[in-house]
Amino acid sequence: MENMVNKVARIPNLVDWSTGEVRLMSAKCNSCGTYFFPKEHYQHRPGCSREGVEDVLLAKKGKLASYTIQYYPCPAPFKTEKKITPYGIGLVEFEDEKIQITGIITGTDLKSLKIGMEMETTILDMYTNEEKQQVVTWAFKAVN
Amino acid sequence: MRDVYIIGTGIHPWMGFSEQVFADFAAVAVNDALKDANLEWQKIEAIMAGIFIYGGNAGHLSGQYLESIFGETGIPVVNVYNACATGSASIRMAYNSIAAGETDTALAFGADVSPKGFLTAKSDNAVQDRDVIRWKMGGLPNPIYWALECRKRMEKYGTTEEDLALVKVLMSEYGSKNPHARFKKQYSIEEVLNSVYVCDPLRLFEICPVSTGAAALIVTADEELISKADNPVKISATTMGSAMYGDPTIRISALSCPSVPEAPMLSESYSASRQAYEKSGIGPEDIDVLELPDNSSWHYLVYLETCGFCKDGEADKMLRDGETKIGAKLAVNPSGGFSSHGEALSAQAIWQVIECANQLRGRCGERQVEGAKVAMAQTYGLMGNSGTTIMTI
Repeated sequence: MENMVNKVARIPNLVDWSTGEVRLMSAKCNSCGTYFFPKEHYQHRPGCSREGVEDVLLAKKGKLASYTIQYYPCPAPFKTEKKITPYGIGLVEFEDEKIQITGIITGTDLKSLKIGMEMETTILDMYTNEEKQQVVTWAFKAVN
Repeated sequence: MRDVYIIGTGIHPWMGFSEQVFADFAAVAVNDALKDANLEWQKIEAIMAGIFIYGGNAGHLSGQYLESIFGETGIPVVNVYNACATGSASIRMAYNSIAAGETDTALAFGADVSPKGFLTAKSDNAVQDRDVIRWKMGGLPNPIYWALECRKRMEKYGTTEEDLALVKVLMSEYGSKNPHARFKKQYSIEEVLNSVYVCDPLRLFEICPVSTGAAALIVTADEELISKADNPVKISATTMGSAMYGDPTIRISALSCPSVPEAPMLSESYSASRQAYEKSGIGPEDIDVLELPDNSSWHYLVYLETCGFCKDGEADKMLRDGETKIGAKLAVNPSGGFSSHGEALSAQAIWQVIECANQLRGRCGERQVEGAKVAMAQTYGLMGNSGTTIMTI
């Protein structure tokens, strides 16, 4: 894994690299079995007691369930130092958790994108903040 | 419950960004609706207003601002927001107030001024407002959500780029005949396929922009007003739906969706339409005119399936075979749809109902569906908002 020292997520509680692997931060309801992302986006099954929601990290890898290539810059407040347009957006399926999650696609030839291909969770450098930290978001890249 | 009729409608034509204030647009539509109903302002007993979210205090109290223009009369004024189904909520409240006997005559309206530039986050607080995350970290403008679903559809059902382009060709033909439409140019399939991708597989001409517009509807159960009205239109049902657990759609603003479906796609619209069929006793097979929310070409196809006009995966064939054209058994979006108008958030659901009412009243000129007796307006709003209105004459 690349050097993650001095990197910070633009918004906390979404992506974690404290275990040495980049993983998405989810929560699981132990009553209805549903996984949430972001972890505060509760989507319980109707009638669920909503008891026993615990923080979990999603698997590192998933499969590409859909994708698009965005040809125009995303408007503010989105910002990156380097131009990223056109950029890919993937919808990645985490099979065991029964959830699909959106993310920018990085480090991958956009022409090679294909539904079903294996993707892994990573980060994308966005910009340097006033504290000289590299601000990042979560992203997905093809598994080579 | 009493029968409720549409007796007056008004539309301020759809257009791009304007420096004019939203209440002035609303006043044009309301004034036309009063004239159409041949009604004095003082006869309005309740106002159900769609709010204008970019209008600050004034926009959030749009009903009061409108009331003061025509003269304050002390009646109940309710201001409501349900994303792009906001107008559905205002119509439903007006209908329920009258059907229950609380009031005899009510006004539902919405007016929206397109924001200058792109739609984006409305707050800076990601803890309070999860929508901020998709803008700050997700890189996710609205059409991306549609493109992700469209790609899934192409993989699953074999929808082609030509199918997506054909929707625009048809919508532009009808839009060119609609004086209320913002976009009146007719496109060939080649022109659509030569337009740039915004988010592959969706092209510039296959997604709708944001617009400025206003629409107003006067509904009543007053027998004298109904008897004097020009072709009053009966509202057979007007319903709203929210999403259902296990809906596999990646919803605008969300960052995740379930991978194992336990509910239909666009379940909020599935719910609203099924409620309307049950309440009215009218089904898809009875409907002559359908106005559906074609925010993109994908929506046009999927909504035919969501609302039960064909089975899943069959909408492309319906389109290719001409079964959605004016002159076929079902005419879909004879107004030219959102494709020819763009979205005017709080006004669009009311505008769709008015387009349906105009068809039933035989007022549509070159785009008239001959002999139309039953019409349905279907809306779609982000994060699980939808409304269905079925009308008869």
